[in-house]
Amino acid sequence: MTDTPLTPREEDEAQAAEYVLGLPDLAERMALEARIKADPCFAALVTAWETRLAGLNDGFDPVPAPDLLPQIEARLFPAAPRPARRSLFWLLAPLAAALVLAAVFFVTPREAVLVATLQTEDAALTYEARYQDDTLTITRVAGTAAAAGQVHELWIIAPDAAPVSLGLLADAPLSVAYRVPPKGWTLAVSLEPAGGSPTGQPTGPVILAAQIGA
Amino acid sequence: MDDPVADIILKCAAQDRAAFGQLYRDTSAKLFGTLLRILADRSEAEDALQEVYTRVWLRAGRFDAAKGRGMTWLIAIARNLAIDRLRARPPVTSDDGIELAASPEPRAETRLIALGEARRVSDCFDTLEPDRARAVRGAYLSGLSYADLATRHAVPLNTIRTWLRRSLLRLRECLET
Repeated sequence: MTDTPLTPREEDEAQAAEYVLGLPDLAERMALEARIKADPCFAALVTAWETRLAGLNDGFDPVPAPDLLPQIEARLFPAAPRPARRSLFWLLAPLAAALVLAAVFFVTPREAVLVATLQTEDAALTYEARYQDDTLTITRVAGTAAAAGQVHELWIIAPDAAPVSLGLLADAPLSVAYRVPPKGWTLAVSLEPAGGSPTGQPTGPVILAAQIGA
Repeated sequence: MDDPVADIILKCAAQDRAAFGQLYRDTSAKLFGTLLRILADRSEAEDALQEVYTRVWLRAGRFDAAKGRGMTWLIAIARNLAIDRLRARPPVTSDDGIELAASPEPRAETRLIALGEARRVSDCFDTLEPDRARAVRGAYLSGLSYADLATRHAVPLNTIRTWLRRSLLRLRECLET
């Protein structure tokens, strides 16, 4: 076997393959994910490797999944407009869509946008929620995780709607696929038993809350 | 080529919610199996499955049927999410953890004698040294990292990396020809 260094092209190919296989550690993986977003040529190499190795997918045995569609739909399509408002909603929706498009077009943030800061009065415990590319990322910037046997659970609450869980907050930032959280919605953190709320609704005290756009 | 999954994803891209329900019914077992294999934890796999379909709906507009099959695209999303979660876990130092990382045997891979893509990948894997082919499959199917492989083969991480990179480039050459 030769030990000559890889050419730059081989280096890119090797990195794309390593990413698809999932070999790198977290820090390197995050760097590669950033490169995929920023570099279309590299992204194409990654896609090519995904196709190249797709034959291995036969190795994943199907396992019947529980019906989680209601929870998924609750996350994607919360709080459908109520009938009374529907006519006005549909009247205004195209205009709103145009405004959103214009905003997206002109702002096009390259950095993740801060959408809410959730903190205690003394700021001893602080989470920041940022949004970028269909992903909401919640990072603890001050304080510590819940005590053993408990966990911080993140909720999003549309006006007049029941809270929908977005996941459990551990030491690593929580990233969830999400659309732009609308203004006026609330992000909240409750204290739950380890493993999260057993009921699908907050069961413990709500320790942090922040309204988006407030 | 006939690709019913791709057709449903394209309907999802057109905001067809009924198609989204159908996509879940038709593909969730495969994706759940994928997540379960990599995460090896049922409740985490269920959580990840919700996340996967949320991403699928949001990204359906970016699916390009000319670039690959629908199921390949879905599994790539599921694998990426599962590996992100795996790498974000705190490092396991106990012996149990190492045992767990080293245990999955390439049981399913032996069935890799299907037609088409699978057959070609299989043929090309046969050109690699057996332990390297096993390492590549272990990474793909079980989410093993360089660190896991280094432990498993009892060699320094950089050594594993050097020989695996060579193997991957060779695999590419074989698959291109």
